Amino acid sequence: MASESSDEGGNGYEPKILVFACNWCSYAGADLAGVSRLQMPANCRIIRVMCSGRVRPEFVVTALSKGLDGVLVLGCHPGECHYSEGNYFTRRRGLLLKNLLQFVGIEPERFQVRWVSASEGAKFADTVEQVTEQIRALGPNRPQGGMHSTEPGDR
Amino acid sequence: MEDKLQELVVELLGDGAMEYFIGYRQGFEPSHVVPCFVTDKSEADRLIWGPLCLQNLSKYVLQARDLDGKVGLLVKGCDARAIVELVKQHQIERDKIVVVGVPCEGQVDPRKMEQVLGVSMEQVTDVEDAGDEFLVKVGGEVSKLGKEQVLRDKCFYCKHPTSFDYDYTLGEVQPFTIDSESEEYDAVEKLEELPLEERRAYWLKQFERCIRCNACREVCYGCYCKECIFDRTDPRWLDRTPLPRENEIYHLIRAVHLAGRCIDCGECERVCPVNIPLGRLYKKLQKDIAELFDYEAGMEYDTVPPLVDFELDDQDPFL
Ligand code: SF4
Ligand code: SF4
Ligand code: SF4
Ligand code: FES
Repeated sequence: MASESSDEGGNGYEPKILVFACNWCSYAGADLAGVSRLQMPANCRIIRVMCSGRVRPEFVVTALSKGLDGVLVLGCHPGECHYSEGNYFTRRRGLLLKNLLQFVGIEPERFQVRWVSASEGAKFADTVEQVTEQIRALGPNRPQGGMHSTEPGDR
Repeated sequence: MEDKLQELVVELLGDGAMEYFIGYRQGFEPSHVVPCFVTDKSEADRLIWGPLCLQNLSKYVLQARDLDGKVGLLVKGCDARAIVELVKQHQIERDKIVVVGVPCEGQVDPRKMEQVLGVSMEQVTDVEDAGDEFLVKVGGEVSKLGKEQVLRDKCFYCKHPTSFDYDYTLGEVQPFTIDSESEEYDAVEKLEELPLEERRAYWLKQFERCIRCNACREVCYGCYCKECIFDRTDPRWLDRTPLPRENEIYHLIRAVHLAGRCIDCGECERVCPVNIPLGRLYKKLQKDIAELFDYEAGMEYDTVPPLVDFELDDQDPFL
């Protein structure tokens, strides 16, 4: 991926974003983006999973609560899951989880799901770019003094 | 009703139709009702029924998994939904349970009653159902309380006051009216309408207070996992310390685990020692599941739970 991007958001803030990419489509899409030397912000840490359906809601909840700025789940387009139906479950869960997170006051941009196929290197790069910019604009997830402070005084 | 119940239990125990029966009995204080396990006919006279029989006893039937015979259970209409779900989730076979349905005309929320009366429940010596109101005895005096003042939240929107699936029933519900205009999802909608930051502040304050006693998990019919994710040490999902951050993880994970399975029995909220309005969290999921997937947990045996199912044309905001 591209080298560490510079201080674009001011104050040196660079969001940390966790990306789950399914092995068969989106991870291959990421590869293609890399091979094609597309420019992308370097804020994403990618974890390869065998299917977007593997991403348990617990992963997302824990990542966000522990202070990551955003979570992006990438899977094959509906109808194209390597395991036929995994991403249909992802879709239902994703909807519910998105609503639940909003309900407890977490900005919807911080958890996103997108469908990216193996041939969509450019879409991968665009998605990562878009999501990074949205999250950068929001600022840090739960800044100091919020839930994520571990200072003893905050208990 | 109690006589009928006791006779039935004596009969069923005598026939060997069940190994034991689970109902309610008087606790230490008059206003405190506790679960009662009747293994012998001679104990059946301890069984009671009334508006303080709050517990959802369904979780206890899981004990029957290890028995040769059956377990009998007194079941309110709302609790029956837990039985349906336990069977649906393959936790128990329906024919291991003898369901004795009881017509329920509403249960008392002790917290509301304490507020209305201005005395602690310990001083309440009797609560009797009288149609649209409860007759409440404090000291020697009886006062009348309209049901809308003291009913548990779930009773306002009760869908079937008697179990629709029973082996025996103790009768029909007498019609009564609750003088209230509130709607099922009012509390959830009020929160939904708040600006995001205010919702965040609201839940932050709630989660912060949680002492992680785990009572809400222990009481929940749906939390039957042999090894709960929160008890795992490898990987360790949750720090044992009730830090706000860890509490948030606890509550959000439990919420997603109960998505599509929560039957709105209200037990989690009832047992919480620090009064966290857990019902609102679970009600939100219920509302979404009803709206998005047209599903309500515990209502039918032959529908597929929403999160192990899909439609090709499900809403897709993720393109
Ligand atoms: S989450 Fe609460 S209301 Fe829902 S089934 Fe469990 S105890 Fe009952
Ligand atoms: S919280 Fe989740 S893992 Fe724990 S018992 Fe409940 S359903 Fe099982
Ligand atoms: S019962 Fe209340 S205090 Fe205990 S773990 Fe649940 S929410 Fe926290
Ligand atoms: S394999 Fe890509 S979403 Fe299932």
